[in-house]
Order: sequence, then structure tokens, then C-alpha cells
Amino acid sequence: MERVPILKLGSTLFVSIQIDLQDDSVIQLQEDLAEQLVATRANGVIIDITAVEIVDSFIGRMLTMIGSISRLFDAETVLVGMRPAVAITLTELGLSLRGVRTAPNAEKGLALLNGSS
Amino acid sequence: MFSLKDAVYEVVADAADMVSEFLAFSRLIDDLGLHTFETYVTARERIIIDQSASMMELSTPVVRLWDGIIAVPLVGTLDSARTQLVMEKLLETLVATGADHAVLDITGVPTVDTEVAQHLLKTVSAARLLGAECTLSGIRPQVAQTIVSLGSEFGDIATKATLADALAHALRRAGLKVGPA
Repeated sequence: MERVPILKLGSTLFVSIQIDLQDDSVIQLQEDLAEQLVATRANGVIIDITAVEIVDSFIGRMLTMIGSISRLFDAETVLVGMRPAVAITLTELGLSLRGVRTAPNAEKGLALLNGSS
Repeated sequence: MFSLKDAVYEVVADAADMVSEFLAFSRLIDDLGLHTFETYVTARERIIIDQSASMMELSTPVVRLWDGIIAVPLVGTLDSARTQLVMEKLLETLVATGADHAVLDITGVPTVDTEVAQHLLKTVSAARLLGAECTLSGIRPQVAQTIVSLGSEFGDIATKATLADALAHALRRAGLKVGPA
């Protein structure tokens, strides 16, 4: 199983997913992120999915869950760099990712977090 | 071409021993006729397919109104194939330009039924996933009546009467102001 690294940038955690997501790696990411949120007391999470080509219903749901978990630690989640095909798939699956904010790219996602906090 | 058969028949009508030759000849002429017809039909179908493809292409332009603001003026009937195309093009442009505001203008859409409303909703929520905000503009009075009486609602999507209002809204959201020079 491949692990997704979590980087700390100031008070923001930056997660760039560069692998084909498998169910167990997403669950691992969720656990790691929760631990990191507690350890670093970050107030924002940016998840970059520019390189992700396939998102199924499980991963879509896990992304929403990551958003909800982060909120429990008073951190806001921004999903950045989604591909059009992924957006279409998620919409067709009826997942609108409530509770997770979205931005076109990492730069705007960071601006969104800084603007809101 | 088929009149050749009559002409030949007149010539061979009184010669009884030519019957089998005439039958073979007649079959050849039939085959030729069939072939001509098939070629004609395939050529015609190809033209129709080409034209509908180019019409699809023409009917879904995505235009840039401002830095970070794009618009999709929709003209004509919306079916699922077209909305799919519109959605794909809109999302691709959003990613390519990094725009964070999109205006869907439905001034040229004659009728909006539940299906079309559903398609529009889907497009808007897909655009949202890319981090872009969508505004719907150009809803005509009759269309508004239909939407309300059908009970389809556009939820929390911002709707504006005209494209100008939608642009003003988008500019305001982008923190820009337009005033007299």
C-alpha cells in the first residue's frame, strides 16, 4: 500500500495525491491526517487531486468524511485541482461533496483558506 | 438505367431462346441499381452526421467575459447529449483558464422542462467541484413560469434576469467595480 505524504506549510496541511487511490490508502490518509491535525494544530487542509484521474463513490465519500473530520479539529478543507472528468463522475454519482470547499488550483485554495480565517 | 431493361426486352421479346440470358442481364441491372442507391444513401448519411456534429460544435461556445469570468450562451434545445458536451467544454475551459466564475445564459433556450433543469443543476454542481461559482441568467418569463409550475427549483444557484446582471454579479464577487470613466 502506498502512503500519501502530508506536508505542513505554516498553519496549513498540504496533501498532494500523486498515486492511483486505493481504498486502503484513502483510509490510511484519513487516519494520518487526523493525527497530523492534532499534532500540528493546523487550521486548514488543502488536498490537491490534480493527478487523480479516477474517483469512485467510496473515495468521494471519504473525501467528504475527511472534510467533516477536519471540521472537528476546527480546520477547513479545500479540494483543489479537480479534473473535469472527475467532476462529471462525482456529479453523476450524486456526490456534491458538501462540507468541502473547492478551488481551481492550490494557489487559490490557499488564498481561500487565508481569506476565511 | 432501368429503362435499358425495357429496351432490351423489346429486342429479345420474340426470341424465346434468349430468356436465360435476359434474366442474367436483368439481374445485373438490378444489382447496379441497388449499388447506386446504397452509395447515395451512405453519402447522404455521412453528410447528415457531419452536419449535426458541426452543429453541436457551433452551438456550444464558451466565451471569456473577463479575467476569471466565462460565459456559456446556450441556444436551442437542450438534450442530454448536448448538455453533456456543454458540461465537458465548460469544465475544460474552467480548468484551462483558471476561471472561478461561470455564467450559464439560457436566453436562447426555448423550453426548460424537468430534464433540462436537472441537466443544468448537474452542470452547476460539477463546476462547483472545480471551485467555480455558477450563475444562471436569461430565464425568460414563460420559462420561469414553467420552472415554477413544474416544481423544479434551482436550489442555491444564483439566478439573474439578464447576462448583464450576471456579469455585474460576477464582477462584484471578484471584487471589481465598473463605473463611469
